[in-house]
Amino acid sequence: MPQPPPLAWQVVIADTLTAHGVTVAAYVPDTRLQPILSRLADNDVCLRSLSREEECVGYAAGQRIAGRRPVVLMQSSGLGNALNAIGSLAVPYRLGLPIVVSMRGTLGEANPSQVPLGRAASSLLGTLGIQSFSVRNAAAAEQVTAGVTTLAFEAGECAAVILEAELGGGREGN
Amino acid sequence: MKATDVALAIVDTYRGALCVSSLGTATSALRAASDDGPHFYLGAAMGSALAAAMGVAEAVPDRLVIALLGDGELLMGAGALWSVSAYRPGNLIAVVLSDGVYSITGGQQLSTQTRFAAVAEALGGIAGARVETEAELRTALRELGRPSLIEAELSERAWPGPSPFVDPARVRLAFAANVATGGSAR
Repeated sequence: MPQPPPLAWQVVIADTLTAHGVTVAAYVPDTRLQPILSRLADNDVCLRSLSREEECVGYAAGQRIAGRRPVVLMQSSGLGNALNAIGSLAVPYRLGLPIVVSMRGTLGEANPSQVPLGRAASSLLGTLGIQSFSVRNAAAAEQVTAGVTTLAFEAGECAAVILEAELGGGREGN
Repeated sequence: MKATDVALAIVDTYRGALCVSSLGTATSALRAASDDGPHFYLGAAMGSALAAAMGVAEAVPDRLVIALLGDGELLMGAGALWSVSAYRPGNLIAVVLSDGVYSITGGQQLSTQTRFAAVAEALGGIAGARVETEAELRTALRELGRPSLIEAELSERAWPGPSPFVDPARVRLAFAANVATGGSAR
């Protein structure tokens, strides 16, 4: 299936991650993440499509403890799958991971099954002590992404970029 | 063969390897066998250790990485086997302590045969072996192609000794120094 051209915010997020030294992206696929991943690949970032979000966190923890700079990307529905690895590996070992969460279940969601986890995503992260920062328009993409990578790689704190529905690029074409 | 015998065979065979151990028996055994060496001991995150080892292996391609895993642990994170098959890091060995029970939670039986070595072989790109003696284990460690998965059948269940409750900060710093110094740090 042909890929749609990337939106400006998707290019900015990929390029900002690259500029902050990200060398590998561990992810579970998502429509809005795909153009980011394609751009990361163009930037020579290694892509690792893994079987489950928890596995992405484990993989990234291994990269991080070995001194590399990974990023983890997932859909909000997969965040629930990742919580144990985040809360009992990445957080206690202070393996600051930048996490990019593509939101479902919020503004304009038509699928009721997506709503509970989407509604809870930032709260779940916050309960684990992880700060999350929303991107709602292209103008904010660079600042938020840069800030999250600094929190992760410099302060050693996991932090999340939340890709809100208003950004568009979803499979409904919104 | 006990869990500590398996861990001893690993550290004897490959003194410079970076090891990653899953929570519980594997972490206790690796601590005992390596005299609390600078390895990546997981204190929780059950099901994440093979993925973590794959992350280390791809981050440090010039070092051998050995994952020491419980069988219940790997059952919980078995999807990582498919990822190892997909990306095939040539410096990764996974060794499974196969005793058919969840030791850290009180010795409850696994509900199924795991057959991890056969699964690894079936997936492709992973050399699998099932071993019952230390001699077989040492041969498999040395001779199997990589990545590999060795299912070590334990004949005796004995708690290795050291606590599995590690200090994450100490583990992280010691492991980072091990990576940075190429294995000469202690």
